[in-house]
Amino acid sequence: MRSFSEYDPIVIALYFLSVTGIAMFCRHPAVTVIALAGGLLFYLKRNGRANARFHLFLLGLFAVLALVNPLISHNGETVLFVINDSPVTLEALLYGLNSAAMIAAVLYWLRSFTEIMTSEKLMRITGALSPKLALALSMSVRFVPMFGAQARKINDTQKTLGLYREDNVIDGVKGSLRVFDILITWALENGIITADSMEARGYGSGKRVPYTDYRFRRWDWLFLAADLVLLALCIAAMAADGLDINFYPRIVSPGMTPLTAAGLAAYGILVLLPVIIDTEVDIRWRLYRSAD
Amino acid sequence: MIVIRSRPLRSLIRAAVPFVLIPALAVLGTLVFDRQKHLIVSMSAAALALLLFVTGFERKSTGTRRLVIVSVMTALCFAGRFIPVLKPVSALAIMTGLYLGAEAGFLTGAMAAVLSNFYFGQGPWTVFQILAWGMIGFFAGVLSEHLKKGMVPLLVYGVVSGLAYSFIMDIWTVLWYDQGFSLALYKAALISAIPYTVSYVVSNLVFLGLLSRPLGEKLERLHVKYGI
Repeated sequence: MRSFSEYDPIVIALYFLSVTGIAMFCRHPAVTVIALAGGLLFYLKRNGRANARFHLFLLGLFAVLALVNPLISHNGETVLFVINDSPVTLEALLYGLNSAAMIAAVLYWLRSFTEIMTSEKLMRITGALSPKLALALSMSVRFVPMFGAQARKINDTQKTLGLYREDNVIDGVKGSLRVFDILITWALENGIITADSMEARGYGSGKRVPYTDYRFRRWDWLFLAADLVLLALCIAAMAADGLDINFYPRIVSPGMTPLTAAGLAAYGILVLLPVIIDTEVDIRWRLYRSAD
Repeated sequence: MIVIRSRPLRSLIRAAVPFVLIPALAVLGTLVFDRQKHLIVSMSAAALALLLFVTGFERKSTGTRRLVIVSVMTALCFAGRFIPVLKPVSALAIMTGLYLGAEAGFLTGAMAAVLSNFYFGQGPWTVFQILAWGMIGFFAGVLSEHLKKGMVPLLVYGVVSGLAYSFIMDIWTVLWYDQGFSLALYKAALISAIPYTVSYVVSNLVFLGLLSRPLGEKLERLHVKYGI
């Protein structure tokens, strides 16, 4: 049994795409609440109480975004009060609250996505689309620390030669510009050498094979199937306008039809899938350890 | 079938279809569809444009040297995004487009967006960043003859692309918040983004001013020495 982050990158990317996609394309408070609760739960499951600043940032963003809409949009029938001759309506207020909560929810999900989706996993996805692009990307990833190390070497040499001092601002800027100048010359020449070496070793002469041999395993298929079935249920509910609330000019809810209920339930399960998988792994891990 | 004789024109059209025609159609599409669907239409158009580019890029034979040099420039952009306040990404994409061609410029901006967002956060906005930075590099390549004439046209292009980047990303901000496109919200977004817009424009001016001569010389030399 693998934890969620160890599933195939393609499966993971599709999962995040479906969760955030539904949250973004449905304008229904229940969907927003489910997405927010699920996103927060998953983020806390992975990070515990760390990163308080991220929570605070989202809270601030939520407050600002929720206030923007009622101040700018004057649609809606129920006028609450008037500021500077422009009416603030209940509908616009609720619409702003819903949008702000949706954005906070999606940001929680995307934060987890960024943590899980390392650049190595991106290679799996781009490699499936275009091996050439994947190669260019992976080379860039490798170049960054390499340039950093080279820049330090150049910097040390320049300082040893007494070519600039760090305690003088103008001299310091001039010095770092010169280091950058030398670094670029070196990087470009080094790139040419790399390319020639690649060609000498037969790059482009045959079919490319990836280093990491990702393969869909049984649980990848099962998870993918569950993801697609639940997504299809949600889309069916969306297509029948069961997951959309009209805010303007008056709030009109589709009510709790069987289709809406099914869509919400499906979305609720979808949102909980990774937490369920990770909890199961945790429990299993403890059981295995205590067995000895 | 119509055969276009001039090679530059042919490659221009091939590149323009994904990056100019499809977004243009998306804008038209948003006017036709009802408001709720703007977000879906624009996001799928952006994704489609990138998919078309990627498949075209895969089939074309790009020289290994060019590919590696583009990776080098991408890595420099990536590292440059960690500089506080001033961001050299656009300037580097412009320089690449200027000396290595429109496609290389697009690739550098686009890959810099994808890679650096592993640190700055991936999301649907990555798609729009790819398009925005990619187009900045792409048009620098298309206009390279005029931009190479002197410092003034280059700096003007830097200012225009800084503004364009901010305007494009604000379209996305509004679409995300509202699902549909609302002019009032767009104005509010533009106003609240003024500090960022200024920082983009200033970054482009500073980095193009500082880098255009030394970096240009080096890329030009690469062309003379290795024929890239």
